[in-house]
Amino acid sequence: MESRFHKELEELKMTILQMAALTERALEKAVHSLLVRDTEVAKEVVRGDQEVNSLELEIDRLCLKLLALEQPMARDLRFIIGTMRIAVDLERIADQAVNIAERTIFLASRPPLRFNPAMQQLGDTAIDMLKSVISAFINESEEQAIDVCQMDDTADELNVKILKDLMDYMLHDTPAIERSVQTIIAARCLERAADQATNIAESVIFIIKGVNIKHHCQRT
Amino acid sequence: MMEKTLKMESKKIDFYYGSFKALQEVSLQFHLNRVTALIGPSGCGKSTYLRCLNRMNDLIPSSRLVGEITLDDMNIYESGVDVVELRRRVGMVFQKPNPFPKTIFENVAFGLRVNGVKDRNVLSEKVEISLRQAALWDEVKDRLQASALGLSGGQQQRLCIARALAVEPEVVLMDEPASALDPIATQKIEELIHELKKNYTIVIVTHNMQQAARVSDTTAFFYMGKLIEVNATENIFTRPKYKQTEDYITGRFG
Repeated sequence: MESRFHKELEELKMTILQMAALTERALEKAVHSLLVRDTEVAKEVVRGDQEVNSLELEIDRLCLKLLALEQPMARDLRFIIGTMRIAVDLERIADQAVNIAERTIFLASRPPLRFNPAMQQLGDTAIDMLKSVISAFINESEEQAIDVCQMDDTADELNVKILKDLMDYMLHDTPAIERSVQTIIAARCLERAADQATNIAESVIFIIKGVNIKHHCQRT
Repeated sequence: MMEKTLKMESKKIDFYYGSFKALQEVSLQFHLNRVTALIGPSGCGKSTYLRCLNRMNDLIPSSRLVGEITLDDMNIYESGVDVVELRRRVGMVFQKPNPFPKTIFENVAFGLRVNGVKDRNVLSEKVEISLRQAALWDEVKDRLQASALGLSGGQQQRLCIARALAVEPEVVLMDEPASALDPIATQKIEELIHELKKNYTIVIVTHNMQQAARVSDTTAFFYMGKLIEVNATENIFTRPKYKQTEDYITGRFG
């Protein structure tokens, strides 16, 4: 028997999935625009952020309503709390995409750097993590969520590598300092997006198991 | 929280109505200063179990209990146990307020008189203490000689709690004590339970999940005569171990 309440939970799930799909698309477009210096796509990303923001508000509203009116318990309660957290992280990832797009608009108006940092790899890693964590959420897969947490190290390492490489590069090509700094900021945004995907993985595990693994907290 | 002190315990009890086995191997412990909520769908055996704890089921012909229930170190089903004394030590409050058609004073004094207390001063003092404990004193102190039937439902239920407390029980059993009351009266009863646990061991049967979550320290889930899961209330309502518990408390049952 499907109760009215559980139909509303389904609706909440659909809304967060819609938000996830938009965020994923925004990040992909932002990375693509950065790599191929496409200002038009970058502007689309900036414009699209409004929709993600309003979905976050809609999810907040739905969750508040369900908590107040249905007094959910156990798994339902965890699902609602987890969804609220996930919505916050998705919104932040979408903001990172906007930030990257803004860097793109700046960089595309200037000559390309003569040095090619590992942006593609970092972009792929962050996008991969976001896609996997959304899939972990849909399939309620703890295993997949744990994989995402582990991928975060790769994102961190790539970011450090890009930072070091560009610092070295700046020393030898001083006119490129401003462009290098903008590129470092874009890399930092991708690294943050990867962190936020990791947060989502932690929320997914909380929903499935009811344990909080944040800050490596293993208390049950 | 204070250290847990075991007050009552059932050890693998079976309970029969004739040939129907209503409870199967139920083992549970109740601790001093703790509230235990018994939850589960209708017919799961939770009320039957509650009534086993002060032998209220003895009144049902052809009913029978196998196993042992202890109060402190005494097996309450041992032959020779004084059932009246047992029920003084293990008091009970029912779903519907059931005051006697007597004055407010006489309702609370009733158990004391049955137990042979005659001294007017002692009676007055104990009636006042009990009414205060039941958070009713301020509302009735000026009309103790009025009929109890003139009180509101919520007040009648607190009167029944005062009546149960007057004989100084050690354990208080409550069978859906707030299900016939409005939200404000319900809140008063729940506040009262919080107060009472400082002095008593409390076991409450409730159909209201939120109420179980609010008032109890430990929650026990019954299904088809079996104890499925017992754990700290917080755990039961945030991450129960068993699917049956999960399905019941999230309303996915059946």
